[in-house]
Amino acid sequence: MGHRNAVYRPYAQAVPGAYSVSKKDKSPCTTACPGSVNAHGYVSMIGEGKYKEALEVITRTLPMPGVLGRICPHPCEDACRRSEVDSAISICTLKRFAADQVELSELEIPEIEQRKEKVAIIGAGPAGLTAAYFLALEGFQVTIFEALPVGGGMLRVGIPDYRLPPSILEKEIEFITRLGVEIKYNTRVGKDITIDGLLNDGYESVFIGVGCHKDMKLGLEGEEDVEGVIPGVKFLRDAALGETKEIKGNVAIVGGGDVAIDAARTALRMGADKVSILYRRTEAEMPARDEEIEDAFEEDVDIQFLRAPVELLQENGKLTGVKCIRMELGEPDDSGRRRPVPVEGSEFVVDADILIPAIGQKTDASFLQEADGVELNKWGDFAVDQVTYQTSREGVFAGGDAETGASIAIAAVGAGREAAISIARYIKGEDMKEGREGLEIPQSDFNPIPDKMEKKARAKMDRIPMEERKSGFTEVEIGLSEEIARAEANKCVDCMVCCECLECVKVCGAGALTFETHEEEDRIEAVEVGSIVISSGFEPYEPSKLDFFGYDRHPNVVTALQFERLLSASGPFEGHVVRPSDHKEPKKIAWFQCVGSRETNNCDNDYCSSVCCMYAIKEAVIAKEHDSELDASIFYMDMRTFGKDFEKYYDDAKNKHGINFIRSRVHTIDPVGDTGDLEIRYVREDGELVVDTFDMVVLSIGLETSPGLKELAEKFNIEMTPGNFCQTDSLTPVATSQPGVYVSGSFQGPKDIPQAVVDASAAAAAAGQNLVAARNTLTQTREIVPERNIIGERPRIGAFICHCGINISGTVNIPEVLDYVRELPHVEYVTDNLYSCSQDTQATMTEIIKEYNLNRIIVAACTPKTHEPLFQETLINAGLNKYLFEMVNIRNHASWVHKENPELATQKAKDLVRMAVAKIGLKMPLKEAELAVNPTAMVVGGGLSGMSSALSLARQGYQTHLIEKADKLGGNAHSLYKTWKGENIPDMLSDLMGQVQSEENITIHLNSAVSNVEGFVGNFQTTITSGNEEEVIEHGVATLATGGQEYKPAEYCYGDDPKIVTSLELDQKMLNNDASLDDVDCAVFIQCVGSREPERPYCSRVCCTHSVESALELKKRNPEARVFILYRDIRTYGERERKYIEARKAGVVFIRYSLNDKPAVALKDGKVSITVKDHVLGKNIEIEADLLTLASAILPNRDDQLAQMFKVPMNDDSFFIERHAKLGPSEFATDGVFLCGLAHYPKPIDEAVAQGQAAASRAITLLAQGTITTNGEIAAIDPMSCSGCGICTSVCPYSAPSLIEEGRFAGKSEINSALCKGCGLCVSSCRSGAIRLNGYDNDQIFAMVDVA
Amino acid sequence: MSDWEPKIITFLCNWCSYGAADLAGVSRMQYPANIRVVRIPCTGRMSPKFVLASFMNGADGVWISG
Amino acid sequence: MSKDVIGSVMVVGGGIAGMQSALDLADSGYYVHLVEKSPSIGGAMSQLDKTFPTNDCAM
Repeated sequence: MGHRNAVYRPYAQAVPGAYSVSKKDKSPCTTACPGSVNAHGYVSMIGEGKYKEALEVITRTLPMPGVLGRICPHPCEDACRRSEVDSAISICTLKRFAADQVELSELEIPEIEQRKEKVAIIGAGPAGLTAAYFLALEGFQVTIFEALPVGGGMLRVGIPDYRLPPSILEKEIEFITRLGVEIKYNTRVGKDITIDGLLNDGYESVFIGVGCHKDMKLGLEGEEDVEGVIPGVKFLRDAALGETKEIKGNVAIVGGGDVAIDAARTALRMGADKVSILYRRTEAEMPARDEEIEDAFEEDVDIQFLRAPVELLQENGKLTGVKCIRMELGEPDDSGRRRPVPVEGSEFVVDADILIPAIGQKTDASFLQEADGVELNKWGDFAVDQVTYQTSREGVFAGGDAETGASIAIAAVGAGREAAISIARYIKGEDMKEGREGLEIPQSDFNPIPDKMEKKARAKMDRIPMEERKSGFTEVEIGLSEEIARAEANKCVDCMVCCECLECVKVCGAGALTFETHEEEDRIEAVEVGSIVISSGFEPYEPSKLDFFGYDRHPNVVTALQFERLLSASGPFEGHVVRPSDHKEPKKIAWFQCVGSRETNNCDNDYCSSVCCMYAIKEAVIAKEHDSELDASIFYMDMRTFGKDFEKYYDDAKNKHGINFIRSRVHTIDPVGDTGDLEIRYVREDGELVVDTFDMVVLSIGLETSPGLKELAEKFNIEMTPGNFCQTDSLTPVATSQPGVYVSGSFQGPKDIPQAVVDASAAAAAAGQNLVAARNTLTQTREIVPERNIIGERPRIGAFICHCGINISGTVNIPEVLDYVRELPHVEYVTDNLYSCSQDTQATMTEIIKEYNLNRIIVAACTPKTHEPLFQETLINAGLNKYLFEMVNIRNHASWVHKENPELATQKAKDLVRMAVAKIGLKMPLKEAELAVNPTAMVVGGGLSGMSSALSLARQGYQTHLIEKADKLGGNAHSLYKTWKGENIPDMLSDLMGQVQSEENITIHLNSAVSNVEGFVGNFQTTITSGNEEEVIEHGVATLATGGQEYKPAEYCYGDDPKIVTSLELDQKMLNNDASLDDVDCAVFIQCVGSREPERPYCSRVCCTHSVESALELKKRNPEARVFILYRDIRTYGERERKYIEARKAGVVFIRYSLNDKPAVALKDGKVSITVKDHVLGKNIEIEADLLTLASAILPNRDDQLAQMFKVPMNDDSFFIERHAKLGPSEFATDGVFLCGLAHYPKPIDEAVAQGQAAASRAITLLAQGTITTNGEIAAIDPMSCSGCGICTSVCPYSAPSLIEEGRFAGKSEINSALCKGCGLCVSSCRSGAIRLNGYDNDQIFAMVDVA
Repeated sequence: MSDWEPKIITFLCNWCSYGAADLAGVSRMQYPANIRVVRIPCTGRMSPKFVLASFMNGADGVWISG
Repeated sequence: MSKDVIGSVMVVGGGIAGMQSALDLADSGYYVHLVEKSPSIGGAMSQLDKTFPTNDCAM
């Protein structure tokens, strides 16, 4: 929504934080230019008001900006994509504008290394001048031979002064000659010089740019000798050179090109009574510039179309008139234009004293001599190689009109430059063709034109008054005003994104961006890998495909992703929520759910995107935080908050934050006049139509697989689901159908962040499984520099002050800081760096540390949060303990936030460095203990998730103990029938159990339980009790997969009648192939039994899909059966939605009930009677069922003792609490302990298996390291001062302190360095002052405060 | 007194507020230059003694954030 | 045997899932080629303002 430059960082905190240049295909304006002038570049510069820079861009390829800016027929504008919005940008006029603003002489002359070779150029027209310019830049000695007394060729003698004032041309010729180009006027080739002669005269090369100055003949009798017939080119030349001053009488001109129009307007200005143009076709076919034709009409030139001269009428050898014939258009000719055909008998006479034939020009090559050895082509033009412009004679080149026949100046400029390149290479003896043969690359990938772009009128130049126009040769067009020009330039849609102005190259101080790196493009690199993980994510649904939302038309209809940016502090409005149309704060916002999801009428996405309900609620809640008065409404079909803690968030949104939830799908949005407000209509649940107005509408767009990813999948031959996601099986949830290729994230199905992170770790485990033999073969290990002992040395502080380019030095006075720091106590060495973080600076720092024998290092630069590890690495390389380092943030905390006040920023920088100096003197080397990790794993719980975890661990080569309390593996899976994908669970289970039992790295402990845990990450000693036997297992990591169980309902008459069963009990019947199921005529399912209730406020996630699946199974067994599902929200997320659709199609009836009006179940005469209020009819209905299935909740197998032993927490619902809801879903905050399966949260089989693998993957990252390094900045207890009060053991969130049980210090506390996270809580809680925090010791903080 | 500027010593938790101060810089937010930052590993490290020491050393305010 | 096995993995996509896979693999002793089409990693998550249920900043 905001604007982004081509050189950008994706967002403020991007990693890597480097800027990059984004380029799409070359802008079409630039591609269209025959002179390859970078139109996009100079238009951008003009938009920024950088006119000199604009000229620098232009003169990279065109030395005559003011000339071409006036007369070019601008093919660039025909290609301009702005015309898709309104009309092409006035590119050509902008070029003139730029040239008008800056004197070309102000542009610096680059340093040129002069060479001695001479080059001759024949003709000072656009081709010759351009060739001369570029050759002179290469250092060659260039002489131009010009037949006329003036330079410019056709530009001077073909284009009238009112279009191109000679002064402009002369200045631009000067711009060329100032490089040392010499022009010899009045020197005609063939007469004064010859090509062969030049070559013999010491010129290394000759360029022929003689143009087309010979008029074509009408072919009428008397054309050559009747007085009053003047060929067009000659007429214009004589006028330009002042040889004709005045004409009288009537003038007729034959032709339709620029020469005809120019001749007409010139004749008018020279006093002709009447000027007529006779053209044989219509205006549409006229080759002259549209602007010129328009001007001619304005100046009362009589342009007659469909006329052709047939005879000259004369009296005494003097012209009196022209007999003409009318024409009509016939079939198209070779040029594609319709061929004019004479209309018989339509002759008529035009009175004329002067006739100017202007029907074309030819190259006059009559100067060629045999010795020249230069050949012409069949049209009489110079024959050249199309890449090099070399003629048939080596060293002789030709270009421009002389090569192409009469064409446009910019084409001649292009030819001149290309020829110059060839000539330079020819003289240097290089290959002239290398890298120049143009490849036809289709240009189509452009910066998309933003939706909702405002249409603007095209800028036009003003003209001088008509009287002035007709009476003289003053330039007609007056350039653009600065305001208009910049506005016009800023209309550019930046097709290529980067405009290649190369301004960035000029300013890059670090030398990272050079002409070469700027040119860098995509390249193909081949990499050999053992496995592939595809995690290419999703593409947000493009809502403009759904016309009725008017996303394209209404500025205040935004996507949820755009709304996210509106909320963000780094977003387009810096976190200030305003609506796009008028930047007003919205007071009423509506969210529309399921946009591009669960939608088969208007798009093909039948699946649920899984995440939109939750993100919409979150956005509404956060928006309310921004503005508590906000009226926020969410329009939805089913509220699908099935994730961990999501239901609570939903309840809070409803009850605490007052978000309105409206169950309705809105289909119309109408704008309210010009207010920007939006009127919506929807039907309430009770059938009433409601019309309401909102300030803004947010579309909760779904997730899709991008076309590119689909292509990739096809390349890999990966099977896809109907929803275009990767097909996987429940037991191998991250394996694609292609061996060795794995999937994670939303390519596997629409999913939220925690699930994506689980899958990602699972994919890592699966991908690594095949490569165990090559583990650590391609990774690198680092050399260790011995650490210098600094104990006993007085502090020798080295301070490095960073400029960060200009980020710091632009505000903070670095020299002042340097002088100040130099005087601080113990500072031995001070220096500044342009970029302290650059690689070469690290090397220099290492040298300085050694040379000056420094023992404490301060870097005053950016934030330690990103750069501390880098500098600590440098300390290590210099042989210093890495904790002898302190970073001072004078960028984020000073220069950036006090830009307006450099003095205060400098003062603050000095103070911050002074505080760091005070602290660092007291810092001491710290030890990091290295502890060996026992490469053995333990998995507690032998269900599907635990077995998967154990299998992954074992297959990566680690001994694994699988502890199961029951007498067999498998857990709940024994009671399940089928997965939603239709897989038979008993088959799956026996398959997995077989794999586990035959895996030699797994030791299975059945009928066993954990009775004691000692130790910590890497070194646990766990006691397993089996009956009366105890066994101590030593292991490095543990995974808790303790599973869950079905809630046994206390409601709905459960237990009173065998016809009332739970979901698992129904599955058991199906597993037993119970014949009674075939006789069920009426089945009812009640959802949310024990879930989403006040005492158990979570959604059990699996029950909706399970009941839908079971309902379908019942329907399969007895298609006549009536099946009802009584639900609150159907939560068949992801592609499970298709099962829901299938069930509805199969005739399963879904009846919604609400929490405060639950169904009533009664037993009547041996029948089960269920009464439920139908929300559509608003009436109670009663169903007599043969089978009532209660979709009951999933409860975790709560085990407080186990949780305590492993020091892991549980939430209010007794599920384990993971390290981080999003980023650490399969591990505990306690190091070395992991979790998976139902113990984490209710989940279906595929997700439980994935999490088992994920927990294994996380554990393997520890096991594979072999050792763990503890942090040095941790707490340390002085046992002599410790009073043994035990406060520290109670406050520590990580159980790091414990009381020593025996020995000299029994009863005192000690810190386990492997567990301590260095938070310092125990330090400030210690009543005896016995605990210190290394790196943040009291004296260190006091020292900082003292000098602050 | 009109040109009096308070000196504020700020104790910032490394994990949240210090990062927030970094982000304020990244976002180029402008605020008065009166604070002097002491980075601490967690506000759990904060001790009343640091507050007292700050005031003893002439601070006009102490700001603890975490 | 080990000669035939290549101890490296290509992870296509630098979003939250790709980054997690890459980190796990690298920490497990495999060389990782993380391929991302945009100039920085982070994917869709980095565009989000905050994440539920904790309303933590998504960065």
